[in-house]
Amino acid sequence: MMKTKNSDIMKVDTEYGVDSRYTSKNEQETEATALMEARLKRMKNLSNEQIVKAKLMQLKLKMEEYLKKPVYDKQNYFSEFLKLYIDSIYTKRSNFAQDIDIAPVSLSQVINKHREPKEEFIMKLMIHSEKAYKNVCEFHKKTWYQVYYHEKICKTMSSQEKWRPKIEKKVRLSAAI
Amino acid sequence: MRIIEISTKKEYSIEILPVESDDYKNIKKDRYFFNWKTEKEEEVYKLRIIGSNDILGLVSIERIPQEWRLHIRLLSVSKENKGKEKQFDNITGNLIAHIAKIAVREYGELACVSLKPKLQIAKHYIEKYNMNVTGVTLSIEVPEIIDLINKYDED
Repeated sequence: MMKTKNSDIMKVDTEYGVDSRYTSKNEQETEATALMEARLKRMKNLSNEQIVKAKLMQLKLKMEEYLKKPVYDKQNYFSEFLKLYIDSIYTKRSNFAQDIDIAPVSLSQVINKHREPKEEFIMKLMIHSEKAYKNVCEFHKKTWYQVYYHEKICKTMSSQEKWRPKIEKKVRLSAAI
Repeated sequence: MRIIEISTKKEYSIEILPVESDDYKNIKKDRYFFNWKTEKEEEVYKLRIIGSNDILGLVSIERIPQEWRLHIRLLSVSKENKGKEKQFDNITGNLIAHIAKIAVREYGELACVSLKPKLQIAKHYIEKYNMNVTGVTLSIEVPEIIDLINKYDED
């Protein structure tokens, strides 16, 4: 039903715009049902590699979105993104630990926020991500560092009521400015 | 994301941001082809060159989370970017890629962007953006949606 003559295509400027709104609820529902059926068929043919690539792209976009603005909530973004990263690629988290040469228990502690990641851990994560994203999409080397420090900054700024009274007592400015 | 000035082949970095209520004062049908005021309650994005306030393209979408889908409702470039004499290239592609990025960010491997162009221009969208056809609806999903994002999402 989509057959169109080339001459017809040339007559219209194809790129200027589209009014793509459905004209009725009925049309929208009928189209939605047909589209979903077709998509489910196509989804069944997706390879594991295509699914992993999509998950990694999703994670990258989530991290980019997180970095755009301050986020003041209690969620642990670095560890949540780390979990998504590992679970997108590996069936067992211990395999990731092995690949970056750390003890599975150390990885578990970072993921569960029982310990801060060491500098070396983030460096290894950076290099691992370079390899993983190589055939997926552009992924900046600094992304994991940015996420880590963005979270630190947001948490520190939003919890000043807790830490400031105690710390402020220990800070003075002796020089006259 | 970038657009290309056709006369000079010069590339300009662009940003795509949510339309704010004040923007509608300058979004007129004679420049953007549709009555965009009807989209005020919808999710609408504007494309502009970084550092400029001039809107070169617009897109409105409907989120359909139960279907992991974003449906493009309206899309247009500005008048001077229509036809053979257009000033910039890649405005439409960048707008669709931006919506594709939102879809993948939200729905991952299940993501889908759909639109329903008129019959005469459907073939163009199918060929240029590698879209699938179902009835009168065109859609792009994994894996093609990843390629589309990569094509337009270069720094």
